[in-house]
Amino acid sequence: MKTQRLSRRQRTLLNCAPIDEEPIRDRSMRSAVFRARGSNEFANQQSFDRAMAALVDAIPIPAESAEWFSAKDFVSASKWTWRKMARNPAVLAVGIAVLVIAGVLIFYFVSRLNDFPGSATARKLLTLASSTRSVLLDPINADAGTLGDLFFMKHGLEHYEVPPEFADFRTIGCRVFEDEESRRIAQIWLAEKRMQLFLFPAERNAKTGAVLRFPGWRYIQQEGWTGAVTEHNGVCFMAALRGRENDLAPYLAEKQ
Amino acid sequence: MPDRKQNLPQLYRFCFLMLGDSRKAQEVFHTTLREAALRAAHGELLNEPFWLFREARWRCLEESKTDLEAEPLEMKEHEITPEASMQIEQFEPTQLAVWISAAPEPQRTALALFYLNEFDYREILDLAELKLSELSRLLASGRRQFQAWLNTMVPQVPKV
Repeated sequence: MKTQRLSRRQRTLLNCAPIDEEPIRDRSMRSAVFRARGSNEFANQQSFDRAMAALVDAIPIPAESAEWFSAKDFVSASKWTWRKMARNPAVLAVGIAVLVIAGVLIFYFVSRLNDFPGSATARKLLTLASSTRSVLLDPINADAGTLGDLFFMKHGLEHYEVPPEFADFRTIGCRVFEDEESRRIAQIWLAEKRMQLFLFPAERNAKTGAVLRFPGWRYIQQEGWTGAVTEHNGVCFMAALRGRENDLAPYLAEKQ
Repeated sequence: MPDRKQNLPQLYRFCFLMLGDSRKAQEVFHTTLREAALRAAHGELLNEPFWLFREARWRCLEESKTDLEAEPLEMKEHEITPEASMQIEQFEPTQLAVWISAAPEPQRTALALFYLNEFDYREILDLAELKLSELSRLLASGRRQFQAWLNTMVPQVPKV
């Protein structure tokens, strides 16, 4: 049988080729043996080695020496260490997977930590605020606090009142629209820091229909925007601006 | 399957191949195990995986220092033949041990460790303190020399 050409190193390795046909762990040896398979020279070597090993295996053990064979272990098993364990690829892969899952869970938990009734709607409105242009709103130059009457008279929206903290700011425009759940939402654009105000129905208990109330102001963040939300008379009010909680906090503190 | 690190029957066979004498082999084997037992009794389990074989090897080398050494002479070498295995079958283990034990060091250690069929080549390199090219050369020449000896001792079966 024709054999493949062997490199010098492979010929060197073949002289030390394992005698048994057990799977070879060493990659270079495995490759050399694979290439030499079928050569008469290698077949003769293997048959020679097997006969020699069988002869060695037939060396009788004297009875006095055989007594030692039941002796306890002299050699300690290799010590288990964290470092060895960490180097195991399977353990490494599982460890990374667990870390990623834990990270996602922590992120989810933290992001939901500040949830309150109506926070889902508030987040959607923050996304809307980030994409709204002032030209979409009806121009109106007035104090924000006066728009409650407009919403009631023109749109029949009861309790859509701007809280005192934001009542004195001048408006650029406003509009009333319905979201995908047919809830009527009022949107006001302020001249102050291009802030936007939203008024929308508070969340209600699905069984009893009672308003799910929450005390004070709650902050939420979405896509670089921050909103401060409060609930009063079954209507939620949200002041939104592009920035952080610190940018909104002074407006809420002023009246407190 | 016994633990490769302390396969005691193979340890004895190693000593026998190294010394070619059952009495001396037993002596080295027992001394090595007594030393290991003593250390184990003191709570010093041996961390080095092939301690027993390494220790036994050095004891064998020490033991053979006192032996009369044959004058170095050029050994005949023959190519390995397909009939070699049948020729080997006609031998006694003791004859093989005598032949291996007569080989010069480190060929003796290399052949003894290799034909124990207990270690892979990397482990043999470690135990015998050899380089791969050296081990390869020692084994290859050992085979050819043994084949030459076989041809002298056992007439080759004529090819049909």
